[in-house]
Amino acid sequence: MLSKRQILLGNEAIARGIVESGCAVATAYPGTPSSEILPAVAAYADELGTKTAVEWGINEKVAFEVAVAASFAGQRACAVMKQVGMNVAADGIMSVAQFDMAGGFLLVVADDPGPHSSQTEQDTRFFSMFAKLPCFDPSSAEEAKRMVFDAFDLSERHRIIAVLRPSVRVDHCRQDVELGDVLDVPNRAEFKKDPKRWVCLPAHVRLSHPRLNAKIDAIAEEFESAFDSYNYEVPASSKPKLAVIAGGVSFSIVMDILKAMGRTDVAVLKIGTPFPLPVRKVEDFIARHDNVLMLEETYPVMEMQLPDRTKIKGRWNGFVPRAGELLPEIIEGLLCRALGEERPSRSDEALKAALQELKVTPKPPALCPGCPHRASYFAIHKALPAAIHPSDIGCYTLGINQKMVDSVICMGASVSQGSGFFLAHHVDGKEQPVVSAIGDSTFFHMGVPGLINAVYNRHAFVLAILDNRLTAMTGGQSHPGIGEKLRKGDEGVAVDIVSLIKGCGVRHVEVIPAYDVTAGAQAVRKAWQFARENRTPSVVVFRHPCMLLRPRQDRISVTVDREKCVGCRYCITNFNCPGLVFDDEAGKARIDERFCVSCGVCRFVCPHGAIVAVGGEEA
Amino acid sequence: MQYVIVGLGGQGILFSSKVLGQIALSRGERVLGSEVHGMAQRGGSVISHFKIGSYHSPLVRAGEADLLLAFEQGEGFRNLHFLRDGGMLVVNVHQKEALENERLRSYLDSRRIGVRAIEGYEILKKEMGGRFLFLNVLILGALSATVEGGVSYDEVKQAVAELSPERFRTENLKVLALGHEALQG
Repeated sequence: MLSKRQILLGNEAIARGIVESGCAVATAYPGTPSSEILPAVAAYADELGTKTAVEWGINEKVAFEVAVAASFAGQRACAVMKQVGMNVAADGIMSVAQFDMAGGFLLVVADDPGPHSSQTEQDTRFFSMFAKLPCFDPSSAEEAKRMVFDAFDLSERHRIIAVLRPSVRVDHCRQDVELGDVLDVPNRAEFKKDPKRWVCLPAHVRLSHPRLNAKIDAIAEEFESAFDSYNYEVPASSKPKLAVIAGGVSFSIVMDILKAMGRTDVAVLKIGTPFPLPVRKVEDFIARHDNVLMLEETYPVMEMQLPDRTKIKGRWNGFVPRAGELLPEIIEGLLCRALGEERPSRSDEALKAALQELKVTPKPPALCPGCPHRASYFAIHKALPAAIHPSDIGCYTLGINQKMVDSVICMGASVSQGSGFFLAHHVDGKEQPVVSAIGDSTFFHMGVPGLINAVYNRHAFVLAILDNRLTAMTGGQSHPGIGEKLRKGDEGVAVDIVSLIKGCGVRHVEVIPAYDVTAGAQAVRKAWQFARENRTPSVVVFRHPCMLLRPRQDRISVTVDREKCVGCRYCITNFNCPGLVFDDEAGKARIDERFCVSCGVCRFVCPHGAIVAVGGEEA
Repeated sequence: MQYVIVGLGGQGILFSSKVLGQIALSRGERVLGSEVHGMAQRGGSVISHFKIGSYHSPLVRAGEADLLLAFEQGEGFRNLHFLRDGGMLVVNVHQKEALENERLRSYLDSRRIGVRAIEGYEILKKEMGGRFLFLNVLILGALSATVEGGVSYDEVKQAVAELSPERFRTENLKVLALGHEALQG
């Protein structure tokens, strides 16, 4: 029996739990902060020699549906996604919530309070309540791993999907965690045909919905008493001045602050199962205290389940900010305010003044030096400076630094927005160039339906597919365009993106090397001409591997010719590379060799020819 | 012991918390830290928290860090509020005259914050042909030369050797020694 501690990322701890639980099918679509879970499932499955099928789905809906059918067949299965991915998968989740599952099913959904890398800071615990699914909310990596086992077990006993909601601070914490062996679960694939059970006809729902209510009631009872390792009280050792109810990482933060402050007069109730809330347990705690603070991220989900909220200082009445991450500094302030005490002063005015004098400001995220997207955006700008630019979810959202991103909604929406911008102008009899930008993985995820829709309805715009050969923003995962799979020995098949585009009915497609900005600009002009003449979408695929892949490519060292540079900042505004900066004192651009990767693309950017190869242009 | 590690995405900050973790684990201590992944990681400001000892939360509260390890001086200055009074900043500088700024000096003095600066880019330009990807290991070398860093050179050396990919191991150990020497004495 293997038993040792190892430092794991929270996501690796969850993955380890999934493999040790005997999960047979695990699927996901990458999305921060969940992305590291599935590759770690594959690695542990390889290491422990399990048969687990581990696959990236084309999107979260597909990933969920693949895994959930494995559960119908009796296997333990799980699907992993980020919180906005759950929106994509919601259609399937809402239906299956009412099913009487066969194999245990774990839905891992990672939340991003802040948010750090998301377009919303929605709360999966709230979504679980909406779907009437039990939800576990871990406070640490170690607890998240334990919860995986209990979630599978609860799921199997009550024949219901169990949700594990780690938030970003659990996903991306690093902690020493105990490793174990793989459980011997008896599950085998054995699908029992039963239309009443597996077909969501309205007639069946009339039975399954009340059954779901009964399941949730029974689980609520269990959460009242049988899950004391997740729901427990840390009593005050002297007469309590304050009682705190907290879940998730907020609980961990409170515990550290109380210890650092040396407080013995604050009682804490930790809740690890926020839905269905063990209401009696919480009410009993509230009844024993006068001053109650409730800390949860990000919606008042536990609070909303309490019939009487009059005593509670929480997110509902705005005592706790109604948005944003509960960072230690914020929680410290809330604890002091709830205790009616002055917060220890920590004036950083002197530091602020120094930072101002030194011109130190936070650096926002930017495309990497050498990133092909920067070159593609520059080519699009050159071709059609007056175009509208809907963009999408991925690294290339950072094209906003080049003023090349006008609107972003969600995965795949750049394509459908292209249609909407076309129609808005078309009904006025106007012709407006529109160039939508989408990454290769995002195109496969949800861009394809929008493109078929645009062909069918005859919408004239250009779709630029920025094909960097992987899912970059989330750390470089594979996708159908590449065809690589996660488990050792698994072989996939690559789906050719150009054939797919043509199959959608697109009549004009051109593939361009992204670094060739002259050819890129020409291709965009040609594509727009075809689109408007034929009233149809056309596509330009800009291709170059992502810098994360460390591609072997020519190194072209560049320098700024100080004689030729007129200080117009054109390169800074329109190209915006970390390796190319403006020297305020000299009033000229210069190369910052700390960041420049010698891709050489900026040679084609300066309208005055001031950016040149070191030692002159090669033959 | 609470560390805050700051820099820009892509500078290899995650490796340094891995090294600290490896050291703590080999000493039999508990570790807890927080990292940045995803969009926030792309070239912009990033911050890692790392705690060795008995803690619940992976985050370091402002005013509590014992040591601030900064891969970039601007990021180091911006995050000084994380340090406790009497804490230590170990920082890679590329414009060291900023350290002479009077307002900055008086802030550091008023909070008794110590500063150990290494001119990382200069060293890597001179010794490693300008391969700046070694910056993370260089800074770990500098950290190991600082008493307040809480880790010895031998411990860091062993952890770096264990965690380095085979093809970088020899060079990593060379750079580690460079960082250590730069701040010794």
